[in-house]
Amino acid sequence: MSLRLPLPLTTAIVSFALTQPALAHEQAGVAGGLVSGLLHPVTGIDHLIAMVAVGIWGAQLGAPAIWILPITFPLVMAIGGVLGVLHVPLPMPEVMIAVSAVILGVAVAARLRLPFAAAALVVAVFAIFHGHAHGAELPRAANALAYGVGFVTATGLLHLCGIAIGTLTRWPAGERLIQGLGAGIAAIGCYFLAQGVGAFA
Amino acid sequence: MKLNSTRLVIATAMLLAGGNAAEAHIVAARLGDFYMGVVHPLTDLQDVVLWTATGVLAGTLGAAKGRWLIALFPLGLLVGLLLGQVFGAASTQLADAAMMLAIGLLLAAAAQVPTVLLCAMAFAVAVIRGAANGADLAPETDRLLFAAGLTCVGYAAITLTMALTAVFKRTNSDSATSWRAIAVRALGGWIAAIGLMMASLALAP
Amino acid sequence: MRAIPYLRLALLALMLALAVLMRPSALSAHEAAMGVLEFREVRPGAFVGRWSIEPSIGASRVDLRVPPHCFLRLPEMNCGAKGLVGPITITNLGSNMSVVLIKVIPIEGEPRSYTISTANPVVSVLGTGAPTLEVWLELARTYVNYGIDHILLGADHLLFVLGLIWIVGSGWRLVKTITAFTIGHSASLAAAAFGLIGVPERPLNACIALSIAFVGVEIVKQQRGEIGLTARYPWIVAFSFGLVHGIGFASALAGLGLERRLLPAALLFFNIGVEIGQLAFVLLVLALIWAHRRLGAVVPRWGEALPAYLIGSVSMFWFFGRLARVFVVI
Repeated sequence: MSLRLPLPLTTAIVSFALTQPALAHEQAGVAGGLVSGLLHPVTGIDHLIAMVAVGIWGAQLGAPAIWILPITFPLVMAIGGVLGVLHVPLPMPEVMIAVSAVILGVAVAARLRLPFAAAALVVAVFAIFHGHAHGAELPRAANALAYGVGFVTATGLLHLCGIAIGTLTRWPAGERLIQGLGAGIAAIGCYFLAQGVGAFA
Repeated sequence: MKLNSTRLVIATAMLLAGGNAAEAHIVAARLGDFYMGVVHPLTDLQDVVLWTATGVLAGTLGAAKGRWLIALFPLGLLVGLLLGQVFGAASTQLADAAMMLAIGLLLAAAAQVPTVLLCAMAFAVAVIRGAANGADLAPETDRLLFAAGLTCVGYAAITLTMALTAVFKRTNSDSATSWRAIAVRALGGWIAAIGLMMASLALAP
Repeated sequence: MRAIPYLRLALLALMLALAVLMRPSALSAHEAAMGVLEFREVRPGAFVGRWSIEPSIGASRVDLRVPPHCFLRLPEMNCGAKGLVGPITITNLGSNMSVVLIKVIPIEGEPRSYTISTANPVVSVLGTGAPTLEVWLELARTYVNYGIDHILLGADHLLFVLGLIWIVGSGWRLVKTITAFTIGHSASLAAAAFGLIGVPERPLNACIALSIAFVGVEIVKQQRGEIGLTARYPWIVAFSFGLVHGIGFASALAGLGLERRLLPAALLFFNIGVEIGQLAFVLLVLALIWAHRRLGAVVPRWGEALPAYLIGSVSMFWFFGRLARVFVVI
């Protein structure tokens, strides 16, 4: 396993690096869409930690969450994205996103074991809010498909990162580390929550 | 074997990604309209996503169902090209998005799609993409050579994608929760998500 | 049983119709104004350019591109220490202007002429003095690309290779066969390019077409259970027809206006390009064969003869067309 990973990973990175300038060269619309789609989920810290937290939590919950979430999570995000693009208003999006980071962080830190249906519902609600935020801030000029590809890929990869981190739970030390990570995520979430509530008030 | 199939998949992905870099019009100047037909769809993200989705869906359903597409898909491209020339170009963005969503959902659900439905969907994808590929042809392009190139690349791409997917997923008897099955289903979920976002952007005011 | 001859006849007619459709893109030699542009070197690396014959669309409307390190503002062009090495392109050759002749007159050495046409809008200028690193790189880039282009556009060579693959299958035998073909065409390409052998182009092209027909016949023989020459000694067949195809490559290379002083290197790079293209084609065909086996989509029994008849009819169509050109100047 440890031997096999580096090759695909390096190949993927190299091919991506090779493709990037070529795309930028001719089709500015496609390149712009792809890059902004890829970067969008990664640049907001509150989004980023929530995405990773979902992955970690899914890994902690084990089957079936660990394999259903990667399949459905980007899809639910996209549903939120559609609402955002169509400017369907959701209540207090900023606050909800910060709350999601707090709750997911706490869930990871406390190794909260909800039944799958309940966990899925929590994740789905938060996913819709996150997707909504991305959809609402979408750059108009970009190529729609390229943005979608970049956005979904980045979200999915963040999620996979979370799952990869989550597999550390197999070892006691890793378990402790992850709980610490969860606490950190919750703390950052609290900071954003305070900011959001401050802006709201 | 594991290593092999992983490599195969990555190689295909790299080929497709590398295809993006090529510029269809420069190729046309150098190698004529046949190769322009070959390269044109490989430089278009819509084609890359939709063709891959179709090929992967057919590949997961097994060789017995998928092999019809070897002939049907290029034929559909040809029909689409013809229809596009006759009726003029229309924006295919919404149709593309709908097909992505439908195929992605079927993949994600690991649905046992009947052969007729699979063929109909693949043919629809081919017709839509054939029309889209013929839409921005320069008037001096030799239509016959372009169509031949497009048909050839459609045949090669769909055949290789199906075979690679079939090898990757091995057999239908693989359990539904093996990591290979999950990887394919996750790909389907991602494609459906992309289709959904694209549809909303196409519909957005 | 009686139906079979009719079936064959119908197949033949279908193939012929296909072959007619696959007409070579005619290089229409429509007369149009020719332009002549002269670059005279006044100091090392610095040129004065002027149109000695102006093209009919007007000199100012010609979209001339010179190598990126050269600074062009007619009548001056300055290429600095590297000299005039690299591609010269005219992008808007079209209906009103078909050919531009570019003359380069260096301070020392022979003047050289380069022809830019619609079919060949880029020419590579390789300097005039002793070859520098830039010249080698430019030479490699140019001739490897020519080689790849030539094999990818040479449907007759590709069809021959396809026929060989069909007969010998994959594996070690195929490696040997393709290597033999490569050695054969490399040898005769070199011999023809150095002027050791000279074969008139038109009969040669007819011969190349006939070689493909031969492979088609061999496939049919193999399917009938006879062991043909190709099945028994594939490398001998590949080598000898490789010799024929190589002379064909040489005539294509001659059409590019090769400079004698760089001939061996250009030949090498051209050959490398041909091998790259050929290898890519062979790998693609093998990948597709593998995919078909994997999907269980093999040619049904009634259609087994189809590929052989396709190869045979297309090549015979080419043969008659080329034979006509041997006797009649079209």
